[in-house]
Amino acid sequence: MWSSPFISAPASVSQIMLRVIFAMVPGIAMYVWFFGPAILVSITLASITALATEALMLKLRNRPLKPFLTDNSALLTGWLLALSIPALAPWWLVVVGTAFGIAVAKHLYGGLGNNPFNPAMVGYAVLIISFPAHMTHWLTPHGLEGIVLSFPDQLNYIFHGILPASTTLDALTTATPLDTLKTQLHLGLPVNEIRDMPIYGHLAGKGTEMVAIGFGLGGLYMLYARIISWHTPVIYLGTLFAIAGLFHLVDPASYVAPTFHWFSGAAMLGAFFIFTDPVGGPTTIKGRVIYSAGAALLTWLIRSYGGFPDGVAFAALLMNICVPLIDTWTQPKVFGRKGDGK
Amino acid sequence: MKRIARSTLQTAANLIFFALIATAVLSSTYYLTRDTIAQSVERAKLKLVMQIAPAELFDNDIMRDKLDIPASELLGTTDTTTAYRARLKGEPSAVVLEAIAPDGYGGNISLILAVRASGELAGVRVVSHKETPGLGDYIELPKGPWIKGFDGKSRAAYKDADWKVKKDGGQFDYMAGATITPRAVVKAVHKALIYFDENRDRLFAETAEEPEGLK
Amino acid sequence: MTFQEIKDIFYNAVWKQNPGIVQLLGLCPLLAVSSTVVNGVSLGLATTLVMTVSSGTIAPIRNYIPNEIRIPVFILIIAVLVTVVQYLMNAYMYGLFIVLGIFIPLIVTNCIVLARVEAFASRNAALPSALDGMAMGLGLTAVLGVLGAMREVIGKGTLFSGIDLALGDGAKSWVLHVIPDYHGFLIAILPPGAFIGLGLLIAAHNWFNLRAAARRKAATTESAASASVAA
Repeated sequence: MWSSPFISAPASVSQIMLRVIFAMVPGIAMYVWFFGPAILVSITLASITALATEALMLKLRNRPLKPFLTDNSALLTGWLLALSIPALAPWWLVVVGTAFGIAVAKHLYGGLGNNPFNPAMVGYAVLIISFPAHMTHWLTPHGLEGIVLSFPDQLNYIFHGILPASTTLDALTTATPLDTLKTQLHLGLPVNEIRDMPIYGHLAGKGTEMVAIGFGLGGLYMLYARIISWHTPVIYLGTLFAIAGLFHLVDPASYVAPTFHWFSGAAMLGAFFIFTDPVGGPTTIKGRVIYSAGAALLTWLIRSYGGFPDGVAFAALLMNICVPLIDTWTQPKVFGRKGDGK
Repeated sequence: MKRIARSTLQTAANLIFFALIATAVLSSTYYLTRDTIAQSVERAKLKLVMQIAPAELFDNDIMRDKLDIPASELLGTTDTTTAYRARLKGEPSAVVLEAIAPDGYGGNISLILAVRASGELAGVRVVSHKETPGLGDYIELPKGPWIKGFDGKSRAAYKDADWKVKKDGGQFDYMAGATITPRAVVKAVHKALIYFDENRDRLFAETAEEPEGLK
Repeated sequence: MTFQEIKDIFYNAVWKQNPGIVQLLGLCPLLAVSSTVVNGVSLGLATTLVMTVSSGTIAPIRNYIPNEIRIPVFILIIAVLVTVVQYLMNAYMYGLFIVLGIFIPLIVTNCIVLARVEAFASRNAALPSALDGMAMGLGLTAVLGVLGAMREVIGKGTLFSGIDLALGDGAKSWVLHVIPDYHGFLIAILPPGAFIGLGLLIAAHNWFNLRAAARRKAATTESAASASVAA
């Protein structure tokens, strides 16, 4: 028997989070294709750590386990973190980052909904500040010069830190496209010569550009499924394109093309999966526009002038700090009151 | 009016009184500690010098046998620095130079290096740097033994093209992920050795002559 | 002074009004030099010395300092003491002097020193004032020491590293390697670690206080209940 009203129940937090995780699949598939299955190991590790830490913290805080454990938000944090760090990271790196993100950045601030900072980005920031050397060991994409480790060898490195004899970390890993760009610019090479280096492909870095496209496709699915609104990704990518494009037009030897910015580092992941996080973001649409534009500006600034090659995580954290201010600015006036409501 | 003037004067006198006592306490402490401070400063400097120029290399009072070095492009210095000369039985054995690597990841890296009379490096140390902690800071002891890799190296043994990190086709190690820092240090040490070769005689000159001809 | 008065001064300075984790005064040196136990405790003790002597000297002469110029005079006295400490450390603890650097002269600007002189020493006799200065200094030293220990163990896996700078080369063997073969959790040593560590200390302090308050409340209701039963 059917009866009105024919309005579907709003999706629960748990369902939304699950769909967000599902939307990451194309990007991860590209990752596995170009860099091997090591990323699946770190995603698994991060998931287990995230759920275990979540359970421990809930218990310490005397909260019910089941509704929070099954809301999938911890899982999403784990996946985001695993995707932000090198796939060949030692196991403890993944564990420390995820545990810190969930325990400190999420639960010490009051748990889901109360955390001002994106837990995955806090975990990433802690890792890159604490273990900068490990955070540079990015795998070389398949098809480039360099040795490809077999899956058992990768596992052996992740869990025991042992590489097969006659292999060095240096031969397996390479600086990221953004990092190489920064180093070579520092050495005085013009952008067009740097772009001719073998690690670069059509849009940005070989392999990584395809991963970015994968995340972009996942993002389009989320837009289609109305999981996220269009404002954040469009404003973020648009602003990034505008700033990068302007500087690229003025001085193409020192500033890369805007498409390079789009398809390298965590820009796509950020546009669809990080800056869209409703917890740490502003509540109004106007606020979200300011937030996304500011994040794009910071991403570009840190990438171009900062001490770290990629700026998405720090842009997210810095904009998280600004959210209370943005919310105060953009709060709609209460009807019937004049002025600023005082 | 008179009362205000009087109270102002009284306050001023009071303040002067405290200022006088303060001056007396400070100047007496200064005189009491002056010599010890000078000794401590010198001992610390000697300790640094002794790290790179071992004691068996000299028998002279190395901290007194110094020479002003004008700013030099090869040393990367922009101010006058001091070189210390080590002598063994009156014969020059080594010289301690300061150099700056201007192209570190975080800006200037200050170095101190001891060059034997033969042109061979006795040792190099990083005095100060602003490299990323945990990434580029392995150039300083005790965070890594890398800097000891310069011990015994010379321009006679290594051609000019060898004075690069291995990644660039040279002879010097580096850590994956942090190549800018060692690259800058190797380059600066190499240039300092060139400086040594070009100015060898003047650096060891017995009397502290006018260092005008130095480049 | 009675024993109770001395106890009150110390309880107040070290726990109830601790300058580091309750009053949050002097955060600049607290956060900047607490990267190891030795650095933290050394600066804490230098501050304690300055606070004891400045409170102890200002209290007996407080009635001779005109009210309008008391702040310049206080600062003058504190600055002289700090400079004396700086000279002494420069002469006899050169290594530590270099490590602590600018933070020794900055003791002058540490709010807690002037705050105790203004709030306590300018109203009390010499002995309690000196004790108050010392107790407040020790309270700060305790926080610096605990924060330094946390940051050092987590960040480097050691305790008392750099102790040779304070006590001479002979003390080098006193360095404890708490966690052998440790990678180093660098964030603890870097500035963010100071903020996170201080936050955790404040939280722990509040937690202890809340628990103590809850127990007191439980005890009073229980005794009240038993009293009513008896009645």
